[in-house]
Amino acid sequence: MSQLRRPHWPAALLVVGLLLILAPLQERIHSARPRLFDPEQRVRRASAITIGPTAGVIAALGGFRTVAADLLWLRVERAWHGGNWWAIIPLLDAVVELDPHFLLAWKVYGWHCAYNLHVEAQTLVDKRYWLQRGLQVLERGVEANPGRWDLYFELGWTYYDRAHDAYRAAEWFRRADEFPDAPAYVTRLVYRPFERILDFDRLFPAIEYARAKHLDDHHHQRIVNRDLEWWTTRQDDPQEHRRQIVIENTRRHQRAIPFHMYPDNPYWDVCPRCGMPSAKDAQTCANCGYERPPEGWPDVPLIR
Amino acid sequence: MTPLASRVIVLVGVALVAAIVVITRRAWLPAVGHTFPSVWRIACITVAEARRRRVIQAVIILVVLLLSSMTFFTYLSPMEQARMIISSGLAAITVFGILLAIFVAAFLIPAEIENRTIYAILSKPVKRFEFVLGKYLGAMIVLGAIVAVMTVVLVGVLALQDRLVQDLPDSRFDPNLGPVILAAVLSYFALAVLTALIVLISTVGSTTMTVISAFIIWAIGSLQSTIHDLAENAAGVSRLVLLVLYNVVPKLENFDIRHEVSNFMSISVVAAWEAILHGLGYIVVVLILAAIFFNDRQV
Amino acid sequence: MTRRTRVTTTDLTAQGVTAAKGRAHVVRTEGLTKVYRSLLSPAGVRAVDNLNLAVREGETYSIVGPNGSGKTTTLKILLGLIFPTSGSATIFGKTIADLGVRERIGFLPEDAYLYDCFSGEELLDFYAGLFGYSKAKRRQLTDELLELVGMQENRRVPFRECSKGMRQRLALAQALVNDPELLILDEPTSGLDPAGRHQMTLLIQELKRRGKTILLCSHFLAEVEEVCDRVGIMYRGKIVAEGALSELAGEPTEIVIEARGLPETAAEQIAALPGVLGVDGELVRMGHAEEGRLWSVLERVHQAGGRIVEVRRPRPSLQDVFVRAIREEPR
Repeated sequence: MSQLRRPHWPAALLVVGLLLILAPLQERIHSARPRLFDPEQRVRRASAITIGPTAGVIAALGGFRTVAADLLWLRVERAWHGGNWWAIIPLLDAVVELDPHFLLAWKVYGWHCAYNLHVEAQTLVDKRYWLQRGLQVLERGVEANPGRWDLYFELGWTYYDRAHDAYRAAEWFRRADEFPDAPAYVTRLVYRPFERILDFDRLFPAIEYARAKHLDDHHHQRIVNRDLEWWTTRQDDPQEHRRQIVIENTRRHQRAIPFHMYPDNPYWDVCPRCGMPSAKDAQTCANCGYERPPEGWPDVPLIR
Repeated sequence: MTPLASRVIVLVGVALVAAIVVITRRAWLPAVGHTFPSVWRIACITVAEARRRRVIQAVIILVVLLLSSMTFFTYLSPMEQARMIISSGLAAITVFGILLAIFVAAFLIPAEIENRTIYAILSKPVKRFEFVLGKYLGAMIVLGAIVAVMTVVLVGVLALQDRLVQDLPDSRFDPNLGPVILAAVLSYFALAVLTALIVLISTVGSTTMTVISAFIIWAIGSLQSTIHDLAENAAGVSRLVLLVLYNVVPKLENFDIRHEVSNFMSISVVAAWEAILHGLGYIVVVLILAAIFFNDRQV
Repeated sequence: MTRRTRVTTTDLTAQGVTAAKGRAHVVRTEGLTKVYRSLLSPAGVRAVDNLNLAVREGETYSIVGPNGSGKTTTLKILLGLIFPTSGSATIFGKTIADLGVRERIGFLPEDAYLYDCFSGEELLDFYAGLFGYSKAKRRQLTDELLELVGMQENRRVPFRECSKGMRQRLALAQALVNDPELLILDEPTSGLDPAGRHQMTLLIQELKRRGKTILLCSHFLAEVEEVCDRVGIMYRGKIVAEGALSELAGEPTEIVIEARGLPETAAEQIAALPGVLGVDGELVRMGHAEEGRLWSVLERVHQAGGRIVEVRRPRPSLQDVFVRAIREEPR
């Protein structure tokens, strides 16, 4: 019987040889894959362990996380237009969990917490919570998408516009500007926060930094030169300083916590009575003479 | 595995393959001239048979309609619409591609044996491995045509989608079509690997067993990251089983760049080529095994 | 004890066998055995049991037997579709594993298993292509074969829409696509109506006239009688009787006179005549060696008023031989 069939050992050895060649290569591709497809990015491992068994099995099977995220995103749109702002939060959470590279979802999530829900919140504690949550969300987004400038910019803008933390804002804008595809307005935003807090020591170097970039962009160069000229002439003008502070305090985002009330701000503090900035370790307000209560006493609401 | 160990293993493999090829050259060299025409004829008849099957035509029409219907997301922003079209379109190509691959491949050889049309072929001077290879090639041509049609429709929908934005004609989002086409090509190679495995199983099993095994292999191949995590946390026999599954079943995730394409991230063409070449190597291995098993199959 | 009639060159009487005398063996099996084992029957089922078969060039050999006797299994082993458990088989002097042998074989499977979505033209083109013929040659072959099997007008009809007879003819055409020297036909007339069977028989006779060696499997004994030179009766995997038809049937043993209208009294008188074995109704049976008394018996029958219809020397039919051979096999 065996004489009627060909021996299989050459083919079997061929198979073994090919497998020896292929096995290390497959492992190499698989373990290097997240880095290979974009050297700058660290993709979070999409396994059922990290995103939960049900979502993991349904969405990760066959790589349909993106489609599942899209379907949830449509639900977000529907809830938004229905005015149900609070229901959007778990949906957005699921969307960014399923598809951590969906930048728009991160942006909307962070913005919705830091702006809309922050406004809707009734108490200062809640307001602070939502603002912090928005910032935290954007930081998670940055961690999931370290190779894209968009979320660095969003984080910087939220610090600048909402949290009034100029230093953190400037730092995030600077990191966003490191990416070659970041637009020119991001470069300009590197110095804008320092304008607001009148930190001229940092302002002028930042303006020089912005001038040295985007040399072909005439619009950018015109604006930067204009700002440089403005602050050079008004650097020592106290009238201008006061004007800037008043502008800052009377902007339409008045209901937000002013930067000088943000508890982690290392440089500025505010007098609870008159709302004017004063040095952090001063016991008495230089403006109205109010004596600051000792540590541990409850916060006194701002009286205007 | 350290780099040195993997290099040594690869070198041993290369030496073994070269030795076998040289030693057996008297067996395979003369047959080369005869093999390709036979394989091609069998592939052509497989394609012609698939073309006449109504089921496949119906599925293609269904998918084309599905992809064309994705233009109805006009209430979203152009970028969101493009993202949704790309992710859903590529997902449809993958899902329908896999379903068709399973049902085309699972019926390739077992159906021939069950209908006994194989008698008239194997009684001709056709080697058994030529039959397996020809059937596989025919299936891949059919699947390639289907994936190509679906990709063309998807690309057409993408190219046209910005024209459907009525209110703000200046706010266009023109997605780069290259990555979309590359994602479809990689999907096709994932199908090729899966089809080869299905053909391997079908050389020893019945149609039902092949279909069920195909779905299981697809599930395992897509969940390789999960299996790796589970293996790291497991112990004993279950760890061994999971490691075997992880290393033996092909990693279909290597061919899956849909996520990156949907999010308009940058794609590495080099990595895509590596995945394709590895896939081709894996297919060769699997087809050799299929030929060995089919050689011993009594029809 | 198995009763087998060995064929020797000295007692061949059939024309085809005489012509094949001295020619090489085209098909030869020695001790060919196939045992199907399974979990439910570990001892196995012997589908083919120590088969020794020899078919010479130019002869038409038929394997007949009841369903399940191992005929189709034997053919499948010869074609390499299944593998024997032991023994050997050669075709044209080469082992059956040699693919070159298949260039010279044509196979008609039972029930014409061909792709049913294609027309006859397309099918023949495909099968011709497997032999590496050029497009022009394939077209020529297709035309010739369709002409031969009478399917020219229906060349574009899909296989599934063809009648049973048309399908069998197309299947025979695909078996002839390489102008084979050896034709292996498995139940070529199964499922056909009498007209279809007649057509198929004519085709097989035509192929025989063209000098092809034909190995035929059938359980239609009438068609076997019409076309075959030698017959092997297969039962339970073994050849229980083998030889030329005339060999197997044996010599006639009696002379039968069919006479109508013979009165009963006259019948008793005729039965008492020397050389007459008996009278059964209208049949007067005489011993085969009593040819010399035939005329006197005929005269007595005529005088008694019987009308003589026929005088014949009946040979046992193949069916009789078949039934006898199987009955003699130990169970």
